[in-house]
Amino acid sequence: MVGLLIQHLVDGLTVGLVYVLLAAGLSIIFGVMNVINFAHGELFALGAYFAVALLVQAGLGAGGFVVALVLAPLLVGVIGVAIERFTVRPLYGRNPLYHILLTFGLVLVINDSIYLVWGTGSFRLPRPEIITGTVGVAGISVSAYNLFMIVIGSAMAASVWAGLKYTKYGLIIRAGAQDRQMVRNLGIDIDRYYSLVFGFGAALAAFAGIVLAGRQQVTPELGMSFIIPAFVIVVLGGLGSFRGAVAGGLLVGILQESILRPYAPALEGMIIFLLMIGILILRPQGLFGTEFAEDESHELLTSSGGGLIDHQTRLRLGGLLIGLLVLLPILANVLDNPQWVTLGTRVLIWGLFALSLDFVMGYTGLVSLGHALFLGLGAYVAALTLVHMTGSVFVALVLAIAVSAAIAWVVGYLSIRVHGVYFAMITLAFAELYYNFLYRVEFTGGSEGLGLLGIDRYYGVAGAGIDVGTSGIFVGPVVITGRALFFYLVLGSLIFAYLVTRQMLRSPFGSVLKSIRENEERATFIGYDTVVYKRRAFVVSGAFAGLAGGLFALNNAFVSPSVAEWLKSGEVIVMVILGGMGTLYGPIIGAGAYFGLESVLSDFTTRWRLVLGVIFVLFVIFLPRGLVSVPTLLDHHLSGAGPGPGPEPDVATEDSSHGGDD
Amino acid sequence: MAAETTGDRADDTAQRGETILELEGLIKRFGEFAAIDGVDMTVERGEFRSVIGPNGAGKTTLFNLISGALPVTSGTVRFDGDDITSMSPEARVRAGIGRSFQISNVFGGLSVRENVRLAAQANQQADYSIVQSLFKTTDRYSDINEATDRTLERVDLADLADVEANALAYGDRRRLEIGVVLAADPALVLLDEPTAGMSVEETRETIDLIEEVLVDQTLLLIEHDIELVMELSDRITVLNRGEVIAEGSPEGIAADQAVQDAYLGGVVE
Repeated sequence: MVGLLIQHLVDGLTVGLVYVLLAAGLSIIFGVMNVINFAHGELFALGAYFAVALLVQAGLGAGGFVVALVLAPLLVGVIGVAIERFTVRPLYGRNPLYHILLTFGLVLVINDSIYLVWGTGSFRLPRPEIITGTVGVAGISVSAYNLFMIVIGSAMAASVWAGLKYTKYGLIIRAGAQDRQMVRNLGIDIDRYYSLVFGFGAALAAFAGIVLAGRQQVTPELGMSFIIPAFVIVVLGGLGSFRGAVAGGLLVGILQESILRPYAPALEGMIIFLLMIGILILRPQGLFGTEFAEDESHELLTSSGGGLIDHQTRLRLGGLLIGLLVLLPILANVLDNPQWVTLGTRVLIWGLFALSLDFVMGYTGLVSLGHALFLGLGAYVAALTLVHMTGSVFVALVLAIAVSAAIAWVVGYLSIRVHGVYFAMITLAFAELYYNFLYRVEFTGGSEGLGLLGIDRYYGVAGAGIDVGTSGIFVGPVVITGRALFFYLVLGSLIFAYLVTRQMLRSPFGSVLKSIRENEERATFIGYDTVVYKRRAFVVSGAFAGLAGGLFALNNAFVSPSVAEWLKSGEVIVMVILGGMGTLYGPIIGAGAYFGLESVLSDFTTRWRLVLGVIFVLFVIFLPRGLVSVPTLLDHHLSGAGPGPGPEPDVATEDSSHGGDD
Repeated sequence: MAAETTGDRADDTAQRGETILELEGLIKRFGEFAAIDGVDMTVERGEFRSVIGPNGAGKTTLFNLISGALPVTSGTVRFDGDDITSMSPEARVRAGIGRSFQISNVFGGLSVRENVRLAAQANQQADYSIVQSLFKTTDRYSDINEATDRTLERVDLADLADVEANALAYGDRRRLEIGVVLAADPALVLLDEPTAGMSVEETRETIDLIEEVLVDQTLLLIEHDIELVMELSDRITVLNRGEVIAEGSPEGIAADQAVQDAYLGGVVE
């Protein structure tokens, strides 16, 4: 009994120390540069893979373990320096949320590179004889490698601590984490240290990755599975605090491995997110962090959209596009290209999802990193309705909207009082909580999910309507297939959502949202309760994301927990940025570009995310206002002399604000 | 500087001379340091009151406590007879406390009209149902738009109404800032160093504008320019180290020994 307890404790400490090393780098990078590095998990995985390359592929074998432990972190450190120098650096001075976007793009790039080089299989790292097997102490046997991990992990953490505390570099870095401007005022060029800090954090992550790789299999999902707990730890301990990273890492490691997994597996994966949410609400600076005077003065770069194209032309373009979409199923049928309808349906569902995110992100500056929560809610509510209550697709979708809106109110109520990066983190925590919940409860079908294929579904209410499985409806000479019918339902939903949100933006409500985006403090001091307005916007957004989720479930005739995974939240942000934030139609274009690119690229390579990631990173750096800003930019370049008279056109107001002119 | 009341907020019950703002035993501590250390102060309706004091006297903290930007440590703030000590900043604005900010503090990306319209709209948000406020186009609220036009006329920005606020010249921006305060139709206006960083001439223009358009409101001003304060104020409150050391007419303050000491002491230190 005691033996078992100790074994569990050793497990907890072992994994906890890996977390400590991972989170320490993440936290220091945030503290010094205000950069939330989503790619940190991939750098961690890269460390493990470099070790694989050296020991397995280059044939050094177990004897090379120590070589790998030195060499791989160095290599990853160099990559870290390059990342800072060439991608992170151009973004200083912008809203810190752009770093989240950028590093998410890097996740796609590095992760797909790993697939490309090492394939989808798993590797085992050979370990030297001396640290294999078990060690028995007083009748209790523990794995020698775990002990090794504890020793070397603690040694590394201690030397980082000592380095931060006793060296000149450490002093400057700690001072920088406290107050960058003050360090600059003292005449120290803190900016020079940025590359160093980033590279050092990356190397630390790689080191942790190798140590972990000796204990478990190395798979391409390694980074993805460690980054979220690492964020939990950094938030618990306090963004920017080394002590916090140590305490948080050990806490999460022990909680997860020593307590929850052996004794309460049903709660594993949920408690830590509840903890994270609780901390963010009660003490956003974390257990050991100091309160940040967060710099929110840098605005999000929203697009003017209509800057160049006038209102009339835009109406005509919109009409033309809708006309084309209406004809798409018929054309596809005639040309015998049914996959057009499939692709079109996907684009429109994701376009709706992206539009819903844009409504909060582009108009109120709330960057939700957990919007997949609402996609997942809508999907499961619709699926459960169809399985247990009624076959009516309409009832299922209305319930999906209602439940998502209600949950959005609750999440908004708890989240909106925290700002900026903390808001991003708390929404991420809610989404992960829900994702883990889906796995742990039975009525959702757990990891199996829910299938809808055997269930009678129809478009209508109270038993009357068109069967979903219908082979075709004859409208004069044209046959509308079942797929096409669903396509029209999705198209109608998207147009409905677009018109509703656009009208809201022209109302007093929308005008307040725009004022909040411009200057929240000022909006408060002319008499608006900005929290209430932001929460309402969040509810509207959640409702439409829920609708997208319901359609998503219907489209696949199947739901599984992956609908709520954080990658989905990341992908939808990618689409919003690709198209152009703060325009409503930009994100729909972004969704089109995303899937268009996928369908073109996937003909050539299965690793299309690599290309997409690179394109996205370039967009974040060079074209942050998205595709819809291209006409204006081209115009600038062609006319040469620049924008000409009048205010800067690229910060022009959104079109509906001109409504009051006439 | 008295004038007839012609403001939008009909002062049917309110009379000039009654107390509008009352601070009682106000204390604000930051850790050990008491930035405001037991301030009692009353301001009468229609008064032009200035708050002066050496650097670090607690003037801006006092404003923040009145406007709700900071919570008090202890004491009460009463406005129009109601205890507003725990009211949110936005609720205080709706109750009638307006605040002007430093010059850059307008909605830069929005048009001049939209800036003013938002303030006028804030004043009336309670009058509309949620459905109206979510879906009815802003053009169709004639009362808000009329109030907006009136305000634009008063601050002389009607011609620039469609210009983006970022593109305004310095002086016009100042007008806009005052227009935004005016559009919310406050009973009490807190003016936070409205002439900071201005030339003599710009200062003059700004003061003329304030006197012209805010004449019906009760004004509470923080200002460094002592000459200006002496000229404009009905009464002056002098703060030093978080305490009121003197209060009275401009003449009385000019002659006050404690005030002289505080200012001279500040210089010598």
